[in-house]
Amino acid sequence: MVKFKIASVDSIIIYFADFISKENASIVQYNYILLKNLKNRGIIDITPSYTSILVHYDLNCFTSESIMDSLKQHLCLKIEKEEDEGRAVEVPIYYDLEVGFDLQRISDLSDISIEEIIDIHSSTLYSVYTIGFLPGFAYLGEVDAKIATPRLETPRTKIPKGSLGIADNQSAIYPMQSPGGWNIIGRTYLDMFDKNLEGFSYLNVGDRVKFKPISRDEFLTNGGVI
Amino acid sequence: MIDGGILSLIEDFGRFGLCDKGITNSGVMDEYAYIIANRLLQNSPNTNCIEITLGGLKLKAHSSCVISITGADCECKIDSKEVRSWKTYNLNKGETLEFGYAKSGMRTYLAVKGGFNVPDALRSASVTIKEKLGGLDGDKLKKGDILHFSNLQFLENNTALKENLIPKYKKSLDLRIVLGYQVDFFEKKDIDKFFSTNYTISSQNNRMGYRLEGEPIECMVDGIISEGICFGAVQIPKDGQPIVLLKDRQTIGGYPKIGSVLPIDCFKLSQLRAGDSITFKPIEIKRAEEKMELFNSSLLQI
Repeated sequence: MVKFKIASVDSIIIYFADFISKENASIVQYNYILLKNLKNRGIIDITPSYTSILVHYDLNCFTSESIMDSLKQHLCLKIEKEEDEGRAVEVPIYYDLEVGFDLQRISDLSDISIEEIIDIHSSTLYSVYTIGFLPGFAYLGEVDAKIATPRLETPRTKIPKGSLGIADNQSAIYPMQSPGGWNIIGRTYLDMFDKNLEGFSYLNVGDRVKFKPISRDEFLTNGGVI
Repeated sequence: MIDGGILSLIEDFGRFGLCDKGITNSGVMDEYAYIIANRLLQNSPNTNCIEITLGGLKLKAHSSCVISITGADCECKIDSKEVRSWKTYNLNKGETLEFGYAKSGMRTYLAVKGGFNVPDALRSASVTIKEKLGGLDGDKLKKGDILHFSNLQFLENNTALKENLIPKYKKSLDLRIVLGYQVDFFEKKDIDKFFSTNYTISSQNNRMGYRLEGEPIECMVDGIISEGICFGAVQIPKDGQPIVLLKDRQTIGGYPKIGSVLPIDCFKLSQLRAGDSITFKPIEIKRAEEKMELFNSSLLQI
């Protein structure tokens, strides 16, 4: 059910599906990498999300008609199972009440102990569905339904850099200090966004992510800040 | 830098190819004024400049240089001598350049021959404060900042833009919009209302976007699955008041969008301020492509 829609005079949006699922995310990710690898100078920006890809093109190279014709030839709508394996990434997290301001709230709402929440969260394999909101802010799905928790009613004005949060069935790390409404459960010492980092963002669309619980000591000796 | 004014930022055309990392395009809000500022100095097109919002900037030249001033009609003085915009000037070592407040328009552009020596942060010198990227330290210009430049040669003949090419910034504007995205999720009566309403620019207008006030528009869906947002996209949030998204917009978002304002009209919108009024006019994609080409080819003839 691929649909092309005009987004503006110099961008089109391709819809691959109309609901969020792992399969649909894989199709988007596969085509995103395919378009990126074309290295077409007439394509300025490619923005993948859960079910769509926005393509911003150079009007000196394409019209809305010619970009659609050109992209239709490249897109792949059925992907083989082997092809949806993304890069495996492990992210160390210090899960504790000291930095996980909302562990208690999630525990109260779900009636699950904090130890078990950490266990459930860190034993799930997540994939990066999309990146947005802030540079390097990767939306990870999906959080186990047992600990999925809605956003805070009143967002915090300052969430420290590296904070790991849950919003409904998604998880994400704040790459920089920012206001935000996600339930914070821990913190990493890694830089999720750094202009000196190769690719700039620690996580990329399509990556498979696992969180590894670490001790306070390990967090601090690796440069973690409390 | 004696005074950074309200909001003065180093900008160029912006940062491209990084939306997939959540990094916005950034860049000058009014590309027309920016292009002319560099053209007057015979700079290469993407040379960085200072985007001065509303005014208040004051700086002292520690070396002689050549500058150009374009954009909003801002009172401007070199030492105590009044100067006009859309022109180039030689600035002597020790002289002070001071901007008052814009009488018409919103953003003034100050370029220097050869550009400022500011390193690119991710392919561009443009500042986006939210991302702490670009400029000297990812922030607006402040008292005490020093901007270096390499070209110390005066121009023998200073130049000015032809009078008939200087835009007149008005208090109202028609914005041409290419319908698209979720336009099918709006009923005809709401689309008609959208095109017949006189909208007022609210106080919530900045480099991210301009929030408008007027007849609320209803969409048949409350939200959509988050997707990429392009320059000029018009979002209709739950309260029905449109938001035109501009250079520092978020890369993805979950509100329905009715279409996108032509980039060349967004440049004009960037010179409007709270209280000014706008209306929307639909434009077919083919016509819109022609208008963009016309804008680019007419620039080449200046």
